[in-house]
Amino acid sequence: MSPTAAADNAPPLLELRNVSKQYGHVQALSDASFTIGRNEIVGLLGDNGAGKSTLVKIMSGIEYPDSGRIFRDGREVTIRSRKDSERLGIETIYQDSALVGSASIMRNFFAGRELTKGLGLLDTRRMNDVVMDQLTNVVRISGINSPDIPVEALSGGQRQAVAIARAVYFKTAMMLLDEPTSALSVRETDKLLSHLGELKQEGVSAVFITHNLYHAYERCDRFTILSHGKVIRNLLKSETSVGELNEIIVKF
Amino acid sequence: MTDTATDFATRPPQGRLRRWMREPIANILLLFVVLQLVCIVAALVAPDAFRYLSATNIELLMKAIPILGIVSLGVGVLMISGEYDLSVGSVYTLAGYLTAIVFTAGYPVPVAIGATFVAAIAIGIANGLITTRAGIPSFITTMGSMLVVRGIVRWLSEFGSISFRPPPEVAAVFTGTVAGIAAPFLWFIAIALLAWLLLHRSKLGNHMFLVGGNERTATAVGIRSQRVKIVAFAICSFTAALAGIISIARVGTATPSQGVGMELRAIAVCVIGGLALSGGRGTVLGIVIGACLLYMVEDVLLLLRAPGFYLDVFVGAILVVAVIINTWMTRRSSK
Repeated sequence: MSPTAAADNAPPLLELRNVSKQYGHVQALSDASFTIGRNEIVGLLGDNGAGKSTLVKIMSGIEYPDSGRIFRDGREVTIRSRKDSERLGIETIYQDSALVGSASIMRNFFAGRELTKGLGLLDTRRMNDVVMDQLTNVVRISGINSPDIPVEALSGGQRQAVAIARAVYFKTAMMLLDEPTSALSVRETDKLLSHLGELKQEGVSAVFITHNLYHAYERCDRFTILSHGKVIRNLLKSETSVGELNEIIVKF
Repeated sequence: MTDTATDFATRPPQGRLRRWMREPIANILLLFVVLQLVCIVAALVAPDAFRYLSATNIELLMKAIPILGIVSLGVGVLMISGEYDLSVGSVYTLAGYLTAIVFTAGYPVPVAIGATFVAAIAIGIANGLITTRAGIPSFITTMGSMLVVRGIVRWLSEFGSISFRPPPEVAAVFTGTVAGIAAPFLWFIAIALLAWLLLHRSKLGNHMFLVGGNERTATAVGIRSQRVKIVAFAICSFTAALAGIISIARVGTATPSQGVGMELRAIAVCVIGGLALSGGRGTVLGIVIGACLLYMVEDVLLLLRAPGFYLDVFVGAILVVAVIINTWMTRRSSK
């Protein structure tokens, strides 16, 4: 196992330093620090209400932290909107809400980033070509013979594949996967996990937020464990086991 | 890793035509064409008893359909974006009043129409801002503005009946005939084409479908859903005002009870045309066919000399049957 980027001298892909966020009386995150290195899959673990989702929302620009700093490749940045996070190469794939069911594959693929012919008119033909090319050559899905099929007609695995193909096409540097396997069958989960491995080979890092420690342990290089808004552990895969991870989460 | 391709293939491939046949629009179109053929054949067999193809009847249809049709296009754009507008009937009536008042005050027609559009769009933006910022159902917001605007119209009407008699060459824009087709119908076609361009071929339209389909997801991918909805509200009020202006140019006098119940008829047209009440689904063709179908049924009943109450019964029945079929088709196609 090669050492992760965190151990290298190069600055990490993304670094959150002492980030705090409060919702009313609830301290969702306090002084949390988190890094994503190059070519690594980080497991973000913790029980319900530990602050995992808040951390993801801050990285994807949906929430803005009360305090703390964020660095991309060592340069300080602010993420105030979804557009900002997009520019920094961050793509979030939510459990089930990454795609709009009633809309077609193509319209979901390019949602918010449509190709136009000027005047705000869609370049439908070019978008259709890109979608079919990505689906057949990048994530290699068969059984989808048209970009016009509504997403609600796809299986859970096919939907994840569309979301991943989208992330790859838009040159994402990091993918944040929030509970990606909760809606998938065992077989589809297996496929998704192997996709993450493939993407890592191509230089895409990922943050894997999950309850399922076995899935996390199988694919992640490093684990960050949150509890009550605080980062309580940072562990390399080689230093730990599923049993230990479980014990830490339960104990705190 | 080599068998990735086959693993996602859990569904058999679907043909383009078969997929289209499962869309709600396919049924409505089929129903419309069949009904049209039956009427034409009946009119050819018995031209005296059933005057469906007579010049007067065709002219009547071409003048009646566009008013509700144009309003429905705006209501449909908004419904696809996931919201309702109950104030269109009131805005429609107000538009007639405003145009007539500004014109009677001595301003030229373009100024009167311009002022009317500005007022209507302001109402639409207000509807949108209140709905999105306060986070309340548009059903309530626009029910409120329906009553407020209706009240303003009542107040305006207390100054006596107001007429709008523009110079004939100006009125021709709204009441004339081009190549045998009534001007209102041409306006309807033009607005329908613009709506098609907007909804099916533009970036903003794509955002409308996505916001209406699932607002949270749309926001998560970076679409400014509140702004999209406010624009849709403004478009909806604009089309209601345009219909009001076309109507006053034809009728010539503004009366406060015009447009009452129009909001529900417009929603009925959209639903018959296959738009989902929950937003995110629908076509412009569906709205156009829905408007034509509604009037065609009324027209046929009138030609058959059916008593007035039959109209409501039939329209009500068609509405419910259309929704049942559409719900059934949508459920089947998403399985």
